[in-house]
Amino acid sequence: MQEKENVLRILEETKDAILKEDSVKLKELSNQTIHTASTSQDPDNIAVAVVVYSLSKIIERKQYQGFAGWKKFYVEIVSTIDDSISSIKNSDDKKLREGLTKIRKTVSQLSGKLKIYIQDVFRKAEINKASKIYEHGISMEQTASLLGVTLFELASYAGQKPEISDVILNKTVDVKKRIKTAMEMFQ
Amino acid sequence: MKFEKAIIFDAGTIINFAMNGLLEEFRGLKKIFNGKFLITKEVKIEVVDKPLSIKKFMLEALKIKELLDEKILEMPSDIGVDENLITKMTDEIRDHANSIFYTRGEAIQIIASGESSCIALSKILTEKNITNVIAVDERTIRVLFEKPENLESLLGKKLHAHIQAKTEHFKEFKGYKFIRSAELIYVAYKKGIVKLKNNNFQILDALLYALKFNGCAISDEEISEIEKLNKV
Repeated sequence: MQEKENVLRILEETKDAILKEDSVKLKELSNQTIHTASTSQDPDNIAVAVVVYSLSKIIERKQYQGFAGWKKFYVEIVSTIDDSISSIKNSDDKKLREGLTKIRKTVSQLSGKLKIYIQDVFRKAEINKASKIYEHGISMEQTASLLGVTLFELASYAGQKPEISDVILNKTVDVKKRIKTAMEMFQ
Repeated sequence: MKFEKAIIFDAGTIINFAMNGLLEEFRGLKKIFNGKFLITKEVKIEVVDKPLSIKKFMLEALKIKELLDEKILEMPSDIGVDENLITKMTDEIRDHANSIFYTRGEAIQIIASGESSCIALSKILTEKNITNVIAVDERTIRVLFEKPENLESLLGKKLHAHIQAKTEHFKEFKGYKFIRSAELIYVAYKKGIVKLKNNNFQILDALLYALKFNGCAISDEEISEIEKLNKV
């Protein structure tokens, strides 16, 4: 785990935001994790980014709270975050990893519509975070492999982000020159 | 080797054609191309092998596999290039590229094997005097090899960190040519391969934006420039 102090702060603030049902704060916290996740590419940092972003979406969608199993899910998530905070304080990386995995397991133990919706939230969170890491300058394939998403998913998601395709620094060769290269190949 | 030209495809470009239902246009391009369309085994893993096990993308994977069966796309071994040599060079290129940019004393891992394998194959073909270009839609590898100083700036800006770059290695990235699916579809359009019938401007615009929205790193400004070029 890289930048433990930063991750500890993020998890503490995450717990606080969950209790206050502050989805905006959670999204902001998730964005703060992405710089470290991009440079370190450490699986634990990436897992924290995905979990915090997923929680922001889950908390944002108030309708989930009406589904069977919500209460148990909520209690377990808060408790697992508490455990993860303790693990970082005790420098117990193994336990932290187990905690982050447990959050995913908590989802798989759900049933009915809530399970389907929350699984979908986690999947989309992986694609969102992959897109963010790609936006930071890491290649698409490298990013896809880090997040366990396919290039098919990442390409279509990232393709819709002007913050990736319309960045001036992407322009390396004049488009006319590139067209000329392509046309010449087909002569 | 009895051919003089080749286009080496990265995964994203093929995926883009497949996702947009443009594989007939892809076949059309191959028909008028006096050379080979190539993919490495590392790219095949990304466009065929992996998606074949995922129901959501199985159909696209099967369609791409058909391109290989029809020899529209060929593997390096089909043209007598040693796969082991590509693997060895791929590892070297990837490891080298991943030790160029540093932040807080740590090397940033920027590229993976599939992308590196395209560079390796391009290098091998160039040494054999075969004119080649790499078709790549994602931006990192293209920026790294065409203007690495831009990638240095992008990393620094996005990571809000000071980036240390081994700039003395930048010159090693020179000598590769890149095109994107956008330029390929422009060729298809100009050569009458695109069969859609409508207002000309609309077709080209629709094609370019469809490719952009499925991962081709092209800006709105560049699309406008291509469209202006079409009117000349």
